Amino acid sequence: MTDDDIEMVVAYVRPDVLSNVKQAIANAGAPSLTVTKVSGRGSQPVKTEQWRGEEYTVDLHEKAKVECVVADVETQRVVDAIADAAHTGEKGDGKIFVLPVASAVQIRTGKTGPDAV
Amino acid sequence: MAVPAGVADGINTVWALVVAFLIFFMQPGFALLESGQVRAKNVGNVLMKNVTDWTVGVLAYFVLGYGLSSVLASLTSGAAIGTPFAYFGDPGGWVTWLVGAVFAMTAATIVSGAVAERMNFPAYVFVAVVMTAVVYPVATGMTWGGGLLAVNANGPDGYIARVVGAGYLDFAGATVVHMLGGVAGLVGAWFVGPREGRFDASGDSHPIPGHSMLLAVLGTLILAFGWYGFNVGTSAIYGADNTLLSAQLGRVALNTTLGMGAGAVAAMVVSARRQGKPDPLWTANGLLAGLVAVTGAVLHVTWAGGIVLGALGGALVLPTYRFVVDALRVDDVCGVFAVHGMAGAVGTVLIPVFATSGFSATQLAMQVVGVAVIGAWAVVGSGATFWVADLLFGLRVSPEEEEAGLDASEHGVAAYPEFTGGGSPDSQPVSADGGYAGGDGDD
Repeated sequence: MTDDDIEMVVAYVRPDVLSNVKQAIANAGAPSLTVTKVSGRGSQPVKTEQWRGEEYTVDLHEKAKVECVVADVETQRVVDAIADAAHTGEKGDGKIFVLPVASAVQIRTGKTGPDAV
Repeated sequence: MAVPAGVADGINTVWALVVAFLIFFMQPGFALLESGQVRAKNVGNVLMKNVTDWTVGVLAYFVLGYGLSSVLASLTSGAAIGTPFAYFGDPGGWVTWLVGAVFAMTAATIVSGAVAERMNFPAYVFVAVVMTAVVYPVATGMTWGGGLLAVNANGPDGYIARVVGAGYLDFAGATVVHMLGGVAGLVGAWFVGPREGRFDASGDSHPIPGHSMLLAVLGTLILAFGWYGFNVGTSAIYGADNTLLSAQLGRVALNTTLGMGAGAVAAMVVSARRQGKPDPLWTANGLLAGLVAVTGAVLHVTWAGGIVLGALGGALVLPTYRFVVDALRVDDVCGVFAVHGMAGAVGTVLIPVFATSGFSATQLAMQVVGVAVIGAWAVVGSGATFWVADLLFGLRVSPEEEEAGLDASEHGVAAYPEFTGGGSPDSQPVSADGGYAGGDGDD
């Protein structure tokens, strides 16, 4: 991995740990992030709800998707920070993926590459 | 102590107007209650039905319904028909007309909750017109108007009242308004057929959750507020001899309140026993069923009777709804038969059991006969109406329109543009936040 590498850390976490995750990512030196409300299915058991006493199951669970593009901080530090902050030990804690980023532009300044991040 | 006649008339008239406005406020209550129990893609259609049945209904009730009620009363008691449409030229009677109108519209609007999410809109408008112009006026003609089931001080008694030897008791319309609407809703839901996905091929039911418990429960409380006009407002403030009817007003106000309390508590307990947890929608339905159950009885029963009748109405909501779904296989979306039909029938039949004047077997017989007659008329009258509506307009939207949602397919709108998209799952979303707005040629 060279200094020019830009990577995106994508984490799917429980909505209620989002605040901890944000703090942990900031502490790891990467304050910029994007958060989206998503729903997804993994190992977390289906949830049973009812309407007028008739039950139905919900297997898509609400999650927060956190995207954090990393250039000058070690990616692993960010990944570890998220994994630590989002861990409860129960099924449904979520997953973290790291993707390569081909290029980056900061819209306000026009800077490109790692400087843009 | 008597007051001058002019003062008593003035106060009674102001009271009647306030009551009419309160009962009118049940319309937003129904609109919220029903829209909360349907999916987001059908909310605009439910609101449209609630606005339309009020607006076309008042016109139909003025032009035909109010006069037809007197005609029916005369025909079923042998009285002279006289001039039933004289109210067109009598401004002094128009406050009374308005009070009649808000009751009529309550009966009409109950139907929309049963047939929600799949009924063709023009057919619904037709049903609303006939409900207010014919079906409801026949029911009032047979009862409050002095017809078939009534005992009259001035003029001949109704044909059935003569045979049984008593007049039918339904103080504020538990059966004349609510059971009529609840039964008409059940009949309509049967005619229209269940929503796509409500029952599978083997006939098992699957839930179709409504989009907002908040709207449904808030609508219930608004309805309960308007209901004070419905029940308490059926009593005047000053009686015929210009004396204050304080005991009568106190009784109807107390029984209305105790009935709704007992109904909600009973439904909460039944839902908790059946489902493990107390359910807010059942509890709200039980509150309404408690109100329905005492609506005919508030003047006639003891406060203990008010509590028992309210509790019975509330306790029966969940089992009645299950019976409609599991045994009849009818998709009554908002449970209007359970809330308005069953509670209205039971509460009104049992009036003599808790009567302040003591039990009367003759009165009990009259209550059973009266509920049967009004129930039978509700089935026949609304059944014929839905049958004709099917011939003229078709009762059901197409499966594609139902899938897309009636907001998009019937009205070309979205009640929640940022949430439901254009209605259909694969259509381009309509964006209200500056984003992509569909159209041609972009892809």
